[in-house]
Amino acid sequence: MTVPTYAAPVAANPYRPSPARITSIIDLTPQEKLFELRLIDDAAREAFDFESGQFVELSIFGVGEAPISISSAPSKQGFIELCIRDSGDVTGAMHKKRCGDIVGLRGPFGRGFPFADMKGHDILLVAGGLGIAPLKSLINHIHDDRHEFGKVTILYGSRTPSEVLFRRQFDMWQHREDFDLILTVDQPDETWTGETGLVTKLFDKVDVDPASTYGAICGPPVMYKYVIAEMRKKAMDADRIYVSFERRMKCGIGKCGHCGVGHQYACIDGPVFNYWEAMNLQEAI
Amino acid sequence: MFFRVIPKSVIPDLVRGLAEQYEVVGPVAKGETFVYAPLADAADLRLDYDTTALPAKRWFFPESEALMRFRVSDNAVVSESLDTAPRVLFGLHPCDVNSLLLMDNVFLGETPDPYYKARRDNTLVVGVSCTPGEYCFCDAWGTDETHWGFDIFLSDIGDDYYASIRSVMGADLVDRYVPCRAITDEDTAAFQRRTAEFKAAFTNGVDTSQLPVLLDAKFDSEIWDKLGEKCLGCGACSMVCPTCYCFDVHDELDADQLGGTRVRTWDSCQFKQFAAVAHGQNFRDTRAARVKYRYYHKQWGYLSKFERVLCVGCGRCTRACKAEINPPRVVRALQTGVVD
Repeated sequence: MTVPTYAAPVAANPYRPSPARITSIIDLTPQEKLFELRLIDDAAREAFDFESGQFVELSIFGVGEAPISISSAPSKQGFIELCIRDSGDVTGAMHKKRCGDIVGLRGPFGRGFPFADMKGHDILLVAGGLGIAPLKSLINHIHDDRHEFGKVTILYGSRTPSEVLFRRQFDMWQHREDFDLILTVDQPDETWTGETGLVTKLFDKVDVDPASTYGAICGPPVMYKYVIAEMRKKAMDADRIYVSFERRMKCGIGKCGHCGVGHQYACIDGPVFNYWEAMNLQEAI
Repeated sequence: MFFRVIPKSVIPDLVRGLAEQYEVVGPVAKGETFVYAPLADAADLRLDYDTTALPAKRWFFPESEALMRFRVSDNAVVSESLDTAPRVLFGLHPCDVNSLLLMDNVFLGETPDPYYKARRDNTLVVGVSCTPGEYCFCDAWGTDETHWGFDIFLSDIGDDYYASIRSVMGADLVDRYVPCRAITDEDTAAFQRRTAEFKAAFTNGVDTSQLPVLLDAKFDSEIWDKLGEKCLGCGACSMVCPTCYCFDVHDELDADQLGGTRVRTWDSCQFKQFAAVAHGQNFRDTRAARVKYRYYHKQWGYLSKFERVLCVGCGRCTRACKAEINPPRVVRALQTGVVD
């Protein structure tokens, strides 16, 4: 017998991207652009509630999807900022987009930084390279609730001066009294007046009160071990050091299996883990 | 659960009755093996089969399926559709019924997968008892029995089946299509005898003691290097596995480049690019790391989330693997520290 296949409507489809319009594009470096996006559907936009450290799936039909961490703060309503390096099919296609073009978003996905727990404490943020992208959301969020935090220190390392992201803003922030921001580059040029060397070198310049400090780290995989060691030297607790992992999050909802890290999935159990959790995760650090 | 005794001789009548309303899929002979296929004729059903070459997962999670049609110009979804065809999977062994329950945890748990759910909701499952085959080790995980996940389960007690009825639909079908009767104490005694014979017939003893501890404690063991050297990286183990659920998604553009289809296909953690990200980083760059991950996830990662291991002991990967890497052997290597 022939069996009819009914085309039933799909009520709630977690794989269906929601259209979003590109409202602003800023060239940050030759490789990275900062995109501002606005979800077109009113209900989707109002329902889009996220935490710093969470990510979205950027969906460009005909090319595919890529996980991108959100750079804007949850306190910024109605718009989502994504800092994107041109490094693959989807990100390459995104770099060719112009203001007004429509792309798709799914999410937000994953577990972000414990912002509520961090309130009332000192914060030490350490970023390497593109790792500043998810931390930028946390930095902006702290900025908008600055009075609720103690001392806020940001250490940010890049390879070269031309690769420093958000440089204009950070140049200004170096003069702020309420943020201790130290930039460093591995390979300085003649214009560079800041620190040089790896980001771990900056720990000599930082005073940490271990009893009241939360740490947050994001950068290339090789960086974690060394930065965590510096934080541990400052006697910070393992469960107050937070790390964000990059993995191949493909579905974002714990099904496709690509982002497995040890016995967890980065897309639903992370991408933010505290160091105690990460220590107990094989393949993590 | 309630029970009926159904004469074996009326099974073709049951299948023919079901075929009036459902597409009936069951084990049929294909060459020297068996496959689950739509039954053209009730007589093709082979309830005496050993293990099908491919598992039943494709009837819920096909090897390739369209998720949505899209338009490129404004990045819009044009259409989506779900397969809600009424279907009966007739003749699943306990391992395969249990595999559906393990898949359900992933696809029906938090954030249900609508494509899987539509098929699961519209498919009746009729299980049937079996005898342990050459590669079977379901007894190691307790997946040699099943108490839910089916509508009807038929246990062979000689000339009759001792039928466990799990759902209203199952009860309805039995009453409508076949003459049957309530069980007696003698029937239950026969069922118990058959069960004891079944349990005694397993030969692939697998010592599963403390597996999660061993997987972590021996994470850097050289057994993984040895197994990695053997592995061909073909992914056959994942394709034939009734519980491997990993998938990939890609876009297929139409010839005019104006639209296309977003397609989901089965994937395997044994493929080199599985854990690769941008900038040339690959979190599992060696075959040893990939073989290890398959076992680490199945026997510990999944267990840590759902309190069951992600294996039902069907032995399909044992049969499929040309490098002779299989759960009994890997577990032995973990226990002894030596790949035999």
